[in-house]
This record gives sequence, structure tokens and C-alpha cells, in this order.
Amino acid sequence: MEEYSVIGRRLPQIDARERAAGVADFVSDIKLPGMLQGRILRSPYPHARILRIDTSKARRLPGVKAVVTAEDTPKIPFGPRSDDWMILAVDKVRFIGDEVAAVAAVDEDTAEEALSLIQVEYEELPAVFDPIEAMQPGAPLIHDKERNIVAEFKLIKGDVDRAFGESDVVHSDRYYTSQVYQAYLEPMACVAQFDPTGKLTLYVATQIPSMTRIPYAKALGLSLEKVRVVVPYYGGAFGAKMETNLHLVAAILSRKTGRPVRLVNHRMEDFMAGNPRVPMYIDLKIGAKKDGTLMGKEVKVIGAAGGRAVYSMVIVATACYRPDSLYHFRNLRTEGLTVYTNTVPTSCFRGFGNAQMTFAVESSLDMIAEAIGLDPAELRIKNGLKTGEVSIHGWKIGSSGLEECVRKATAASGWKEKRVQRRFARGIGLACCNHVSGNRAFAREFDGGAGIVRIGREGKVLVYHGESDMGQGQRTVFAQIVAEELGISLDQVEVAQVDTDVSPFGMGSFATRGTVFGGNGVKAAAADAKRQVLEIAAQMLEANPADLEAKGGKIYVKGSPEKSIPFQKVAENSLYKRGGAPIVGTGFWVPDTVIPDPVSKYGNISPAYPFACQIAEVEVDTETGQVHLLNYVAAHDVGRAINPQTTEGQIQGGVAQGVGWALMENMITERGRILNPNFRDYIIPGPLDLPPIKPILVEPIEPNGPFGAKGIGEPALNPAPAALANAIYNAIGVRITELPITPEKILKGLKEKK
Amino acid sequence: MKYPLTLMVNDELYELEVPANWTLLDVIRDELGLTGSKQGCGGGECGACTVLLDGEPVNACLVLALQAAGRSVLTIEGLSKGGKIHPIQEAFIAQGAIQCGFCTPGMVLSVKALLDRNPKPKDLEIREALAGNFCRCTGYQKIVEAVLSLANR
Repeated sequence: MEEYSVIGRRLPQIDARERAAGVADFVSDIKLPGMLQGRILRSPYPHARILRIDTSKARRLPGVKAVVTAEDTPKIPFGPRSDDWMILAVDKVRFIGDEVAAVAAVDEDTAEEALSLIQVEYEELPAVFDPIEAMQPGAPLIHDKERNIVAEFKLIKGDVDRAFGESDVVHSDRYYTSQVYQAYLEPMACVAQFDPTGKLTLYVATQIPSMTRIPYAKALGLSLEKVRVVVPYYGGAFGAKMETNLHLVAAILSRKTGRPVRLVNHRMEDFMAGNPRVPMYIDLKIGAKKDGTLMGKEVKVIGAAGGRAVYSMVIVATACYRPDSLYHFRNLRTEGLTVYTNTVPTSCFRGFGNAQMTFAVESSLDMIAEAIGLDPAELRIKNGLKTGEVSIHGWKIGSSGLEECVRKATAASGWKEKRVQRRFARGIGLACCNHVSGNRAFAREFDGGAGIVRIGREGKVLVYHGESDMGQGQRTVFAQIVAEELGISLDQVEVAQVDTDVSPFGMGSFATRGTVFGGNGVKAAAADAKRQVLEIAAQMLEANPADLEAKGGKIYVKGSPEKSIPFQKVAENSLYKRGGAPIVGTGFWVPDTVIPDPVSKYGNISPAYPFACQIAEVEVDTETGQVHLLNYVAAHDVGRAINPQTTEGQIQGGVAQGVGWALMENMITERGRILNPNFRDYIIPGPLDLPPIKPILVEPIEPNGPFGAKGIGEPALNPAPAALANAIYNAIGVRITELPITPEKILKGLKEKK
Repeated sequence: MKYPLTLMVNDELYELEVPANWTLLDVIRDELGLTGSKQGCGGGECGACTVLLDGEPVNACLVLALQAAGRSVLTIEGLSKGGKIHPIQEAFIAQGAIQCGFCTPGMVLSVKALLDRNPKPKDLEIREALAGNFCRCTGYQKIVEAVLSLANR
């Protein structure tokens, strides 16, 4: 195996020191000269017509610099996927929290007071909250469309009826996956500044700095190049921080006042108008032979989009078909519906639909394993996709560590012994998942990654990328890749924060794509810079560039390391010889992915597919229904861990979120109103709620990944709810099919069992 | 209406005039520009604004600024001495206990309060001491390991 000096090492994140010292400026810390504070007036009704807005009183309040409504916006429909967004509500509001008006004032208190002075007259309209009700004929229509169905997904392969007929066991169940909130610690925030030339700079927390400019430019009636996005440090995202009206409202306020405007969601607003997970009803039927061979899968998914569509339709589509490339189901019939509801718009949350479906599929597989008397671990291995296989949807599995994940997780957790213990109400459960590293079905404009590497006079290397570091350690991984490629130490590499004026047009950080796409992009850029370095070094050393090697901060002739020159000397020499021009390497990487066929859904959507197996061990209090997590093992096929420490951190954090979703978290709503929009009532896991989480890194080395790496972000979460549900079933024989798994549901299940 | 307020922040004496409804966090962030203390919820739930008030961890968003009159406040900025960060911060960095870092300042100060009264805490004691500080990125394990690495020195 090749020896690397920076890749594969446990290294602290390169910007951890600034974050630790409290000197890293997060978006909500930014203060520009003359900056105003913005606040948004949000709809108190789930569905209502706006009859009149009177802003005169608010305008007269001293310290108020602007009050805006839809009349101050271009009123151009836009949206990330379907043009059903407006910056501020036009004529109608569609959920509690919908943006109606906004204020910019000298301080937050004044802005808040001004909100209370805006008078809005509404005419309440009949509202609908459940997607199944919303899709019925006669349901109140939320948009000016014939029906509330946003999108349909249909897929048929083989003959599922015949497959079920030939199966020895057919299991069907209805699952419900709840609406949960990403709960990043920094609420959504933005500083917007229009300069006198009409160019807008947005300092925003966004996972998609370049792509977000497309709908934003449209909404504001600007050309793309007039929208500059800068991404400072920001406090987590987990899928939520893509497009949001918050950014555009700040822009409108800045345009109106000619001053920079800061808008930061109050936590409650972030619950009301963020982008929580798409809740789904899932009817799932799976058939299998006695020997464990899966024969067919039929599924119907109904997901709630909320009052406008963000990415929910793609998320439902993902739920519909992604596990088909985890296991060979052989015959498929699938239907997915995404439906408008008068609730907060739903969107991406770590797992992107696959998390929802993984809960259903992995729960059902355990019931099938029980019915045929097979070890659930063996059932997964038997049907799981292996290296070199092509899935039913044309996904090319360049590497699969699934079996190794299952074997290592079961060995590390004491699976065999614990599975059969009956002394206490203890149980152990397992769940697997697959995922993507980038998703061509989502990112349709293009696919690929790019980087720019600039070498300064003293040999310091500055890397530009177009993805987004939300805390996961992406900048560190990019720095490691560039340092390895150039043969220099990590402390010689800096990674610039994304600024669309200088950074490549990256697609961004979603779909677990950052490491593979951004990593391959900066690797190509570093290779280009290295080629230039070697050419210049060759002149200095009077050697042939092909005979040179860059390692340990030196350039030397292969085989005779004594004939060397320091990297920094080459940088300086080249700069001086070329009138001050630094070495700039640019590079890109384009995988051979394809947009799936619209009917058959056939097509390889990702360059690399990660796999995982997680095992939870629980103890259930049969008096109170409380579930105590005892141990947790998470084995992940990461291709190769560029940085095992940050990779483990991703796994532990993902498991924690999955545990929260499974056992604790739920956005409780009543007629469209979220009843628990704060951390007092919406409880995320604290340090006492989590057991030791043991990560296991499985490294099959992915041919398409930079140095063999795959993504890890989302699969870290996906299997957790099913692993817990399966452990609870193993403990007490109660099968919970609706998230969250609360003590009430467990007690009810125990009672019904008796 | 503003009221006079005298308080020590990071060993520096400040004489200010603040409105009665301002919280200690408002003063620290907006008046003193010490933005290392973060606002995550404004309701004393997430712990991102944790500072030490006379050595005890408090949610600065729940303390009225005037309640801190005459008292001593330590924020994350005050933990660095002469350009050097504190061993707790070093441990957080070394153990990979920081991801987005938004919770880190508050978390580090809660750890300081713990270690000041109990230099050798065990796993459960650490988790109890940090129960008021949410982290959404790490699952807490590397944070606990960072504190254990200090306790085991």
C-alpha cells in the first residue's frame, strides 16, 4: 500500500484554534459599518388571504429605516425547484411563519417594536395539514394549481406481483417518519449589502454558495454576476442551510436603505420557517424466499412539502428508490407523492429521504429475518450489493464495504451472544444503509468539482474551493489533499473561505459529496500547480521535470535526494521570474455520472457509494417505557479516511442525530402551529442521553475517490432509527413503526402484546 | 432610560450605561464586541452563551446586565493569556472535539468551571457538568474524551 504523509492521519481541523479561542467570526457575529438590524413579520395563520397591509405607523417609529412588503420586491416567482416562492408573501400566506413584511432599524429592539406596529388584515382560508388529506379531491388548494400534488414518482421493474406469489414470506407495514428539525446551534443568519454599483454581497451560511445565486438572481431581477456570496464560519447546517427567504429579505432591506442589513432568525422563527425534514408515510411490502433471497419490494410514499416546495420532491424520489441499490430486491413497484400542506416548507436533513426509507426497509427486513429464522446480519450480507456489481438502477458499485461493515460491527458489539440473552429487557439491533457521494439526480445542471491552488512567495499555498464547510472539516480535508499532492506539510496550506468572486463555481456541500467532488477538484488543481512547480524546479536544477519528485517540502531528482531545492525557493524564483505572477494551479474533475432516465430511473448517479452497518444495544424499562441506550457501534465504509479523527466525529455526530430522531425529537403541530419551537420543549440529545459511540472505519479504497475516499456525512445518521427500533423489538418484542419511539408507544405495545 | 453599570470582564474594568432590559449577553456581544459568546436560543436552553460569573457558569442570555453589576465575568476571550490559548482549548483541538465550533466557547467555559472544582472528573461527572451545553455536531464523545485527557494528566 502506498505510504502517505498527510492523508490518513488523525489531524485537528486546521481552523479549530480560531473556533476554540472564540475569535472566528460567525455569520451572526459580523458587524459592518452602518449596519442595520432586520426583523421579519411572519404570518400567524396557516392559510389566509392578505387583504391590506398598513406600514405607516411602523415607518414613523424613530430609528426605523425601512419597512418592506411584497410591493418592494420584484414579485418574480422563483424557487430552487419549482417557481412557487416569493420573497415576501403576495396576496396569500401558506403557513404559520410565512414572510409577510420586514423592517430594518438601527437596533434589534426598534426593529422588533416596528413589527408590532405593522397592521395586516387577513381573511382566513380553509387549511390542510396532512398530505393524505391535502391530496384528496376537494381539499383546499394551496397554490393556484389544479391540485396540491407537487410531484409524482413512479417506477416499475420486473413483476412484483409474481415475485410476491413466489415468496415464502411477504411482510407489509405502514411506517411514519416524523418531521424533525436540524437544530444546528447557530440559527439561520445573513448580512446583505448592496454596493453603489448595484452589486449585492451576501454574507451567508449556505451549503451551496454558487448554486444559490441562480434562484436569488432571478428573484431579485439581477444578473448572476451581480450576486456575490461569501461564506464565513457558520454554526452547522445538516441540510437545512440552502436557499431561504431570509437572505433575500435582507437583500431587499439593504437595497431599500442603501446600508448593510443583518438578519438573524430567532430560534422560534428558525423552527417555524426553517427547512425541517420531510415527514413521510411509507407503505412497504417486501417478499423473500426461505433462504433469505429477496424477491420484490413494493412501496408507496407520501411526503408533506409544506406551503412551498424546496427540495421535497427530490427527497421523496430518493426515498422511493435509493435502497434498491443497497440490496437486490429484483422486482419493484414504487410510487411517491409529494404534497403541499399548510405547514412549514420541508427539505433536506442529513439522509435526504434515504434516512426515512432506511427506517422502513431495515425494520421490515428484521421482521422477514425473524419469519424465516435467519440471522438479520446474514440476510443483509446475502442480498447486499458487492464491489463491481451494477444495481437494478444502473448504479456502478466501484467499491462496497457492506459485508465488512456487518462483520466488523457484529464482532465488535457481541452480536451473537447479546441477540439471544433473555435475562433483562435488553436487546440488540442492527441496520444497514447505502448512500451516495454526490447525486446527479439532484444536481442536474452539471456534475463535477473544481479547485484553484495559488502558491505565494514563501511557498504558502492558498486553496480555493466552491463547496462549504459547515463544521464537518471540509477545509481540513482539502488542505490535507493539497499538502499530500504537493509534498508539503499541512501547516503550509490555507483554505480560503468561499467567495464567489474568486472561488470556483462549486455545487456545494450536500449529498455527502464534499470530499469526493471538492476533494478531487482541489487535487486536480494541486496537480496542475505541481506540474508548474516541477517545470520551474527542473530549470533551477537543470534536470528533466519528469525525473523530479516533490516530497517533504523539497523538490528533488528521483533517486538522488541530495540534489534538491526547497519548495519555497521554487515559489519565490517563479514569482520573480514572471513579473510577480504566482503559480496558480487550476483543475477540475468530472465523473461519468448520468441524469437518470425519467421513466426507468436507470443511470449511475454518483461516482462512489458509501455503505454502513450500525448496531444499537438498549435496555427497556417495561414499567415506564423508557429506552436506555447502552452501547452503539457504527461501522462505515468510507473508502479511505482522509482524516480518521474528523471521520469519526462525523459518525458520532450523525449517530447522535439519528438517536435524537428515533427517541426524542418531534415537531409537534396543531393546525399548522408548531407547539414546541424551542429547545425547552423540542429536546435534542444532551451529553447524558448518549452512550459511548464506537466508530469502525472500513476502507475498501474507492477507485473514484480522492486517495480512495468516499463521503460520510449522511450515512452516519441513516441507520440509527432502524437500529434502535430493531434493538427494542429484540428486547421486548414490540415493533414500533412510527417515529419517534416514545415511552407511550412502547407501553401501548407492551399492553397489546399481553 | 439607561443605567450605570460597572463590571469586570476578563480582568478589565468597564463602566457602562445600559438599558434595564439588556442581558449580560447583549452587553458582552454588542457593547464590548466580544462575540466569542454565542447566541443560540436566547432562552437559556442551548448553553452557547455560557460565561463564568464569579467563577460559576451562567447563561449570559438569562442574566440581566445590571444583575452583573460589580461582579466578575470571564468570557472565552479572557481564557487566552498572552496570545496562548488555555489547555482546555488545546485539548478540545487535539481530540477533535470541535466541529462547527458554535457551542465550543460555552462548552469550554463549562469545562473550566468543572475542572476548577473537580480536577479529575469521571465520564459521568463530565456529562453531568455539560448537560446545559448542547452540541449538535459531535455527539459529545470527543468532547468528553478531551476533558478526560485533561483529567488523566
